[in-house]
Amino acid sequence: MSKILTTLNQLSDYKKIESDIDGVVLGVKDLSVNYSNTYTVEEIESFLKTFKKEVFLSVNKNMHKKDLSLLEKVLKTFDGKVNGFFYYDIAVVNFKQKLQLKTPLVWAQEHLTTNYSTMNYWYDFGANYSFVSAEITLEEIKEIKKHAKSKLIVPIFGRIPMFTSNRFLITNYHSYFQLDQKKGHFHLEKEGNQIPIEEYEEGTICYSPHYLNGLKESLLLKEIDYFYFNSYGIDIVTYQKIINNYKKATKENQDALEQEIDFLLEGNTDKGFLYKETVYKVKS
Amino acid sequence: MRKPELLAPAGDLERLKWAILYGADAVYIGGPGFGLRANASNFTLDEIKEGVEFAHAKGARVHVTVNMVLHNKELKGLEEYLKKLEEIGVDAIIVSDPTVLKIAHEKTNLEIHISTQQSTLNREAVEFWKSQGATRVVLGREASREEIKDIIDHVDIEVETFIHGAMCASYSGRCVLSNFLTARDSNRGGCAQICRWDFDLYNENKKIITEKPFTFCTKDLSMLSYLPDMIDLGITSFKIEGRMRSLYYIATVVDVYRKAIDSYLKDKKHYKYDQSLETILRNVANRDSVPQFYHGIKDESCQYYNGRVEISNQDFLGIVLSYDIEKKEALIEERNHFEVGDKVEFFGPNKGVKSFEIQEIKDAEGNQIDAAKHAREQVFITVPFELEKNDLMRIKRL
Repeated sequence: MSKILTTLNQLSDYKKIESDIDGVVLGVKDLSVNYSNTYTVEEIESFLKTFKKEVFLSVNKNMHKKDLSLLEKVLKTFDGKVNGFFYYDIAVVNFKQKLQLKTPLVWAQEHLTTNYSTMNYWYDFGANYSFVSAEITLEEIKEIKKHAKSKLIVPIFGRIPMFTSNRFLITNYHSYFQLDQKKGHFHLEKEGNQIPIEEYEEGTICYSPHYLNGLKESLLLKEIDYFYFNSYGIDIVTYQKIINNYKKATKENQDALEQEIDFLLEGNTDKGFLYKETVYKVKS
Repeated sequence: MRKPELLAPAGDLERLKWAILYGADAVYIGGPGFGLRANASNFTLDEIKEGVEFAHAKGARVHVTVNMVLHNKELKGLEEYLKKLEEIGVDAIIVSDPTVLKIAHEKTNLEIHISTQQSTLNREAVEFWKSQGATRVVLGREASREEIKDIIDHVDIEVETFIHGAMCASYSGRCVLSNFLTARDSNRGGCAQICRWDFDLYNENKKIITEKPFTFCTKDLSMLSYLPDMIDLGITSFKIEGRMRSLYYIATVVDVYRKAIDSYLKDKKHYKYDQSLETILRNVANRDSVPQFYHGIKDESCQYYNGRVEISNQDFLGIVLSYDIEKKEALIEERNHFEVGDKVEFFGPNKGVKSFEIQEIKDAEGNQIDAAKHAREQVFITVPFELEKNDLMRIKRL
């Protein structure tokens, strides 16, 4: 049975879903991107005292010079106390070697984690886990599983981050047109797609127009080590039902449970790229 | 201090030759596979060989992009491909996926450069890539002056930075808008440039903010005014973006940066910023350009709104095919309409700009005509000063 990892919109949310999950992925304040919320060192330390399942810390932003000392501090502080560090920036790998960290890494260059050979490359540098790209097909995931040395974490539910920028695009837009900028959630619209867009401390992120809903596919990927659930944009009561549906899914009830999730999310779900192969050469 | 390398893009063999003729120390090109411009014309292996021979004969280098983010099926054939590139004699490969780095490092003697697609911005990451056999890192476009300096001060490795051309709105590698909205894979060379589309921006009450379109679209990068500072920082290579750009664009931009670099290195004390070079760059571009992240600027001055302000550039009038000193007559291959009375100027490798007003145009049979109207039509014009093959003719705007 694959384990369930989830993000938390609020640390206290774990209480509602604890029985259905196997672990959490937490963003660290000033070192993470693409999470609803990030947490301070103190908050995480306190959380670790009460939460007894697996905890992965995500230090997955692009690291600038100013971030290196905090990154080093966080890696040292939580070394040996959490199950893994998600990383995007290769500085994390260098620190693991230099500081001889015991905690395994999770290769999480989200859109670049698309083949088993590179997963095996990072495995040799302590990435015992790979966070698999959400832009590849079911068949590609299965093939990766056959050849990868690392444990796989596969996104199976939720919005997918699809754009991370170092620019404040919402602020810039408001400044340019001299508009009053109110805080809150924004979205972009284009050809029927509604794309959540928001700013974080250092720039702008966008999420997929739809929630990935791979409940049926979770039954086809039983050999996968971890399924990753992204709670972004969903209240905890609804989220609790969704995770519970995945937990109790069987061949017999899968259609009904998947439809129920679709209903809960007002029809805004899809299968992402699980059955859709991307192309890159549009002319012969 | 070592003279920095001027690195130009080349979408095909013709542009490779022009980039080198106009002063590039090195060019970067895409091969038949594994690159990030899948829809550029790209080079066959035979063309790469010809390009390498041409470049080496002129003392220039050729870097080949192998910077695709690989899917399982693309792992096949990679080793053979890299060995062929080595056999051909390319000077370096630009890689993004560490699988390519590993194979190249273990199975070939190719020089390895880490692509900007890895968005490398700090010395720790650079140190790691060096330990894995990379000899150069192409820094992320978001790198500030302070960050570039910190890397150069702490890691003994070649550092390459962009100085001119288009920018990604995102960190390179961290945008899959194209995948989601068009199913074209941005990290395998299929980017549909969604960042240049118009969107409507809505607030949390699902109310449109204004009727003005939102766009991710950024202005281009131009570092001409910061070039002396960048040279003094010790950057190894200055990269011009644009493998899809025209021959004229590449020749012009290379020529401008060549002149600026040489002028500064020749006499640093008395170097003066040449405003006319900036004007030339502005005229050849189809978008505005600004320095962007070098000094941490990322505000609205770096963005495009109110629709795209992209001008189709028709300044480029023709290529000099030959010049008859006795007749004072140049044979020109037309690239844009020109006519008697036009004020034009010529420029070429290692020379200044000369201008005059066209008095007479003759067709290939020697008949007088009013204008050169047809693409690639060969015409004669009388020019009072000597020209050389491969000089370029443009409309006079200065």
